[in-house]
Amino acid sequence: MTVPLDTLPDIPDEALLVLYANGDRAAARALTLRLTPRVLGFAARMLTDRAEAEDVTQEAMLRLWRIAPEWRQGEAKVTTWLYRVTSNLCTDRLRRRRGVPLDDAPEVEDDAPTAEQDMMQGERMAALDAALARLPDRQRQAVVLRHIEGLTNPDIARIMDIGVEAVESLTARGKRTLAALLSGQRERIGYEEG
Amino acid sequence: MMEQDLDDLLAAARTRAPVPSPALMARILTDAEAEQDRWQTRTALKRRWTRFLPLFLGSVGATAGMATAALAGVWIGYAQPETLTTVTAALWADQRVDLLPTYAFVTE
Repeated sequence: MTVPLDTLPDIPDEALLVLYANGDRAAARALTLRLTPRVLGFAARMLTDRAEAEDVTQEAMLRLWRIAPEWRQGEAKVTTWLYRVTSNLCTDRLRRRRGVPLDDAPEVEDDAPTAEQDMMQGERMAALDAALARLPDRQRQAVVLRHIEGLTNPDIARIMDIGVEAVESLTARGKRTLAALLSGQRERIGYEEG
Repeated sequence: MMEQDLDDLLAAARTRAPVPSPALMARILTDAEAEQDRWQTRTALKRRWTRFLPLFLGSVGATAGMATAALAGVWIGYAQPETLTTVTAALWADQRVDLLPTYAFVTE
């Protein structure tokens, strides 16, 4: 099956979800194209396992399709709701995975191009993914949502069900830990001492 | 590692998010369409039932009459009836009946 392009680029997610609930196939396609990459990106960073991230993405999207007829406009943003569901699904899987040593956790698939000029950037991304995987779950979640997914602190607070100050604290601690973990690989990933 | 280096690295990571495979997109779209079909079937069944109900019960007027009668029945059953003494007291207030008028002279 080929997935066509988003033909409704100017319509907000919330309105698309209402159209979807009314049986509009184009809205289903537009939402799939818009939201799937964001959910997958977040899940992949949280789980560091592509196959598990894909399962979580499909499950989160299925929950969105099922909630659509009861969706009340104005109460929440679709993306915030979806990140929250994804976050809970990832947390469940991480809890089940407890006891598996970090070194045994599968690496995130690297989709980076293999051209020589991109090798250093690829090294850096791999180092970042490995460092992210070593963060405590809540810190990783906050850092990924804030600094990679680009969400605001109030949105993250709603997703993680905590206060804004707690989000700030988690992201600050997460970044400090990341910097410390990456410092050990400074030379390999091409950063000078500073 | 400098904070700026880390910020740059995180910003670069934002542009290198994993790309969903066509197979994953197709699975998600199949789920979406299956859910739509499921509700449409359910909604169509509900519509059919609500369309045939008045035909089964008669015209719209008859249905409205039956609904009113049903509501009235519920109300009558629920409301506490007044005791009969209220009615009899109203009918016989301050009225006395002399059962032996011809013997009044005995007591005079």
